[in-house]
Amino acid sequence: MVFMPIVEKYRSKVQEVVLGATRAQGGTRDFTVTVGGEAALPFLHYEGQIPHRPLIGMEIWDTAPADWPACFAPYFADSFRDPAVWAQRCVSGYGADLVVLHLKSADPDLLDTSPEHCAAVVSKVLNAVGCPLVVLGCGKPEKDNLVLPAVAEAAAGENLLLGLAEQNNYKSLTAAAIVYKHTLIAQSPIDINICKQLNILITEMNLPAGRIVIDPTTAALGYGLEYGYSIMERVRIGALQGDAMLSMPMIGNIGAEVWRTREATAPAEENPGWGEQHDRGILWEATTAAALLQAGLDIVVLRHPEAVRLIRQNITELMGGRGV
Amino acid sequence: MGLTGLEIYKLLPKTNTGDCGFPTCLAFAMAVAAGKINQEKCPHLSPEARETLEAAAAPPMRLVRIGPEQTPVLVGNETELFRHDKRFNNQCAIAVEVADTEDMPAFLQDFSALTFERVGQRYSVDLAALRCTSGDAGRFREAAVLLRNSAGKPLVLISEDVSIMAAALPVLVGDRPLLCAATPQNYRDMTELAQKNGCPLVVRAKSLTELSDLTEKIVRLGHRELLLDSGSRETAAVLADLTQLRRAAVRKRYQPFAYPAMAFASATEPLAEIVQSIVFLSKYASLIVLKARQPAQVLPLLTWRANLYSDPQKPIQVEPKVVAVGAVSPASPVYVTTNFSLTFFIVESEVANSKIPAYILPVNTEGTSVLTSWAAGKLTGAAIYKALQENGLESRVNHKTLVLPGYVAVLSGSTQEATGWKVLVGPREASGIAKFARENFR
Amino acid sequence: MTRKVAVFFSPDGRVAHVKRNTSLWEAAAQAGLGLKGTCGGAGTCKRCQVLVRDGPALEKGTGLPSGAGLVLACQTLAAGSVTVDIPQDSRLAEHKVLLGGEDVLTESDADLGRIYRLQPLCRKVRLTLAAPTPEGNMSDWSRLQAALRGETGCDTFRISLPDLRRLAETLRSGNWQVTATLVEAAGCADIVRLEPGHSAGPALGLAIDVGTTTVVVHLVDLETGLVLGKKGTYNKQARFGDDVITRIVYATEQENGLSQLQETVISVVNQLVTGLLAENGRHRRDVHLAVVAGNTTMIHLFLALPPAYIRLEPYIPLAGSPPPVRAAELGLAANPHAVILCLPAVASYVGGDIVAGALLSGIAQEQEVTLFIDIGTNGEMLLGNRDWLVAVACSAGPAFEGGGITFGMRAMQGAVERVAITPESYEVTVETIGGVRPLGLCGSGLIDCLAKLCAAGIINRAGQLQMDFATPRLRRGDDGPEFVLVWQEEAGGGKDIVLTGNDIKNLLRAKAAVYAGIRCLLKAAELEMEAVWKVLIAGGFGSHLNIRDAIAIGLLPDLPAEKFTFVGNAAVKGARLCLLSQEALSEAQALAKKITYLELSAGSDFMEEFVAALFLPHTDLSLFPSV
Repeated sequence: MVFMPIVEKYRSKVQEVVLGATRAQGGTRDFTVTVGGEAALPFLHYEGQIPHRPLIGMEIWDTAPADWPACFAPYFADSFRDPAVWAQRCVSGYGADLVVLHLKSADPDLLDTSPEHCAAVVSKVLNAVGCPLVVLGCGKPEKDNLVLPAVAEAAAGENLLLGLAEQNNYKSLTAAAIVYKHTLIAQSPIDINICKQLNILITEMNLPAGRIVIDPTTAALGYGLEYGYSIMERVRIGALQGDAMLSMPMIGNIGAEVWRTREATAPAEENPGWGEQHDRGILWEATTAAALLQAGLDIVVLRHPEAVRLIRQNITELMGGRGV
Repeated sequence: MGLTGLEIYKLLPKTNTGDCGFPTCLAFAMAVAAGKINQEKCPHLSPEARETLEAAAAPPMRLVRIGPEQTPVLVGNETELFRHDKRFNNQCAIAVEVADTEDMPAFLQDFSALTFERVGQRYSVDLAALRCTSGDAGRFREAAVLLRNSAGKPLVLISEDVSIMAAALPVLVGDRPLLCAATPQNYRDMTELAQKNGCPLVVRAKSLTELSDLTEKIVRLGHRELLLDSGSRETAAVLADLTQLRRAAVRKRYQPFAYPAMAFASATEPLAEIVQSIVFLSKYASLIVLKARQPAQVLPLLTWRANLYSDPQKPIQVEPKVVAVGAVSPASPVYVTTNFSLTFFIVESEVANSKIPAYILPVNTEGTSVLTSWAAGKLTGAAIYKALQENGLESRVNHKTLVLPGYVAVLSGSTQEATGWKVLVGPREASGIAKFARENFR
Repeated sequence: MTRKVAVFFSPDGRVAHVKRNTSLWEAAAQAGLGLKGTCGGAGTCKRCQVLVRDGPALEKGTGLPSGAGLVLACQTLAAGSVTVDIPQDSRLAEHKVLLGGEDVLTESDADLGRIYRLQPLCRKVRLTLAAPTPEGNMSDWSRLQAALRGETGCDTFRISLPDLRRLAETLRSGNWQVTATLVEAAGCADIVRLEPGHSAGPALGLAIDVGTTTVVVHLVDLETGLVLGKKGTYNKQARFGDDVITRIVYATEQENGLSQLQETVISVVNQLVTGLLAENGRHRRDVHLAVVAGNTTMIHLFLALPPAYIRLEPYIPLAGSPPPVRAAELGLAANPHAVILCLPAVASYVGGDIVAGALLSGIAQEQEVTLFIDIGTNGEMLLGNRDWLVAVACSAGPAFEGGGITFGMRAMQGAVERVAITPESYEVTVETIGGVRPLGLCGSGLIDCLAKLCAAGIINRAGQLQMDFATPRLRRGDDGPEFVLVWQEEAGGGKDIVLTGNDIKNLLRAKAAVYAGIRCLLKAAELEMEAVWKVLIAGGFGSHLNIRDAIAIGLLPDLPAEKFTFVGNAAVKGARLCLLSQEALSEAQALAKKITYLELSAGSDFMEEFVAALFLPHTDLSLFPSV
């Protein structure tokens, strides 16, 4: 008997979102990238079209990170102090699709740099690389409400992917994204309802759904990854079943979560049973990413070049030569 | 799919006798539907109802036992496609592969290190897989005996050559290794060998259609302790096949595929093998065979397995351990909250917002929120005392004042009594923390 | 021995004699003056402010002399005899509550005679016995029982020892004519009163609803079935905490806590009963029967049954279906032998009040599926038909009864019940109960207000006040953002009436809990909302419930308006049914056994539904197509 593959019928597909803008489009990027558009569950090509492969973003900071473990030094030590050099290293050295610039220096508890300073850093990084740019604030809402609009204005037309908009703090960022033509990251705390609520609130301010990327928040492997995984799976199923307010592509800030864990960073002496830190750290990041790719993640944000290599290979295998 | 609570209810006598221990027939029916109790607990079940319920309760995927009768590795019996619908039942077994031409003592040394302690749990690989690459039955048998005696785990024997397999089995009586594999070419003999030795058997084909045919043939020969191997080895193809096998079993109750499925990691580099295995683990493998065997490589895989097979109904919790927010000093305030992660994270973010460094003490309330845990008597003065003790707060701070969530102000007295700490009643809403902190700790 | 001190309260002129260093709050309670308070005397809700005019008062905890000006009664101790002023703001007001019937309510009064035959649980049997003879020499008691058997069909009779001791005299003084007042329930008959001769005196009964927040009593003539009068008031147990959990904690952890709670509720009931009797010129000795409906905790407190385990997993009540007791045992204002029947509960959080509501609604008779919602401090929902019934309970909080809301109040004169907001200018007009100057908002006003604020865009769907709107009505107050509903010039209390961001959060939570409970029920029954044939709503929102508004905020499911019926106080009406009909009582008892209780805390479904409902009207907008 011939076995007929069981193909799910879906009502809809994931929203396509374009990141970056070329000169012709009002920006300065060498190229744009498109994420989303999936008409099937992750990598099930027989079920529906998956027009774009997931993207890998590499995280850089605008100030030398004090708490990144020593294993990053061989890759970045000489570039930590200059985000432009760091960004170039990620793109040309390690093949990042996107640079994810974290404006850590703006944190009032760190350097408390000015919105103008941050805007200048963004411009500098834009000049240094040709790929689309993701810009994250320092994570303190009051300060980010000053910094991110300034960045948005300075980079008007670049179609940055800007974040993070949250349920209690989305209005000023949304307004800035509308006025200066950027795309927005909407972050919700591992909760599908809040995820959807935030998308409704943002789209009701008239930012088109095609200019939103969801960050459903993820924990690292071993720290509740399964909750983020299940939320992403449900968001993706929701999108395919026609829920427009869950239909945006998803981004996961994986590196930042993973490299806080003991499992990724503790040297072998601390826990001999766990083996060498080198492979363990890289795999802690790659495993988290690989699992979430199976849940529907579209943009993977990583730190370690080796994890980037492994995940790129994984995506290539899973796309089987398809997608752009 | 099983029957729903109301469907089962319709089959029950609806007399609410309480003889089953449940207050009503409907409550009993719902418990049966949720798999919490067997329908046999109802002493008044009609024969027709019993038959219907038994048929509906039959799992869509067979439970297969690998290894000795007393200590088998269980795989299969899955009923779901997504973990958020219902907990996956039996953890995917991880088998580490070695060739009979390899240095066996070196393998055994590595293999013995693949048991881990993490967050109070014990993770371990489950099976040792021996592949015959020598083509020599004697060597294969010798290696199998060595593994059986020293690996401490059940075995997977990998060879499509029936004679080689047959030579190894007499020395593994009662070990019930998984025989890998029966193919369209060897299935008659291999199945007979498996049956004779009471061993579970892998069914391997080159396509799903071929696999379906072959499984039916083997089942007709009377063997049902089977695992399915579609033969695919490329990551995307394996994912596609595993997905089809699971859907066929669970959604369609397609009988030839009502068995657990397995996958082989094919990457040459150990790290890439792990990443590949993460794909197979996430999407429906009940057994993965891989070669990576360094602890640093295997631990991430086993950790994801433990995460993936956890109960999705359990609320998200944070570890009930004190957390320092900002540059704390011994004078920093101590906020008490619960270990329900949403509650905790909201408090954490508001404390961070207050810009006054502080400790947050999440009391273990089994992941319930402040009011719920108080209502259920889980957040009490005694529980707070226990948390203070377990986290050694007295040695971290130089004061004895804690901040209690405003919603449980009523606990002030009992907390003060139980802990000996002074209690400051904080705001009811976390959004008030910044103001509260400014007023009290500036 | 501790010396007693006197605490004088003005302007009431009442005095309490208490142990030295008793809190002013307890002293006020003893003097029969209820003070506001939701924190159970923890000093945190700051509602019990009083002024110590004279005498030594100490601050609890520190032992220092209390400060000048307003102090918290619960945190201030009487170190000697003191004089205390209680401002109006701090008093537990007394006023009308939902009585279940006429008044100003637009609820429908279900036709009580619709289903059940009038066959009261209590009746007077007037007997003429054959006088004893040398042959007919059975004892007086046997003689009486034999006659009663013929009249009633009951086999066994119980009589109080004092009545038995008087029996010989009673029979003979009536010349073998005697009137027995019988309470028949569950195949056994109690002779609650025995009078010589053929007495024409009435048999009266009480239907009592003991709610967490309010207590309602109906006085009923058991021979005619007529309601002689209705009265309701606050449950003064509120002084020990607003919700059942706080009261369970109080009963469990405070010395004499349970007896304090019981005495309080009994005195509230007695006050209503005495009032009703006086107004109708009746006597308490003629009250022979009471049927009490209440949630499980309230019934425990009513009977002084220790309620501790209701609150703790796995939530076990001491008694779900307590046996009948005598009025004298409770101190209830009735004939001491009167039988007090508490309607059986389903589970710890679905009580006899819901059983009474289910009975009244006839939900178990219908082929179609009915949803019964009782929105009180706890929200209880019941879904089903004649084949099956499932109930859930959730903690909605007292928001819809005005609790936990800055300017919340119960439905009484001065409560805002309608709100209109002009687009663009954001001008607000309000209507109050009684058409007087507004004092605050009752449940229906709060529902209306939320709907209108959302429609005007002043709050977003997440309930956040949009502070960038250009209107002076939006401002930052002590508790964060707030919206001024009524300026002080127009308000009855001389203060701006505001709705704060936290008030809105509380309302959202309350409505989300109710809606999430409904969704969980439907999910358990595997039904879509559309399968619900009719929705019955009980509860104390106010004088009416605007269904459109309640749907607009996502409190009630989006169904056609004609599917909804507001039944008001269903508990007391259900209790009255049982008082008047044996059949109804048996049905109530059967219902309690038939209803399947679904524990919402057992899984994560409720939490998920709850978060989904914390949005206006709901995260899944497709559930509210008409909004």
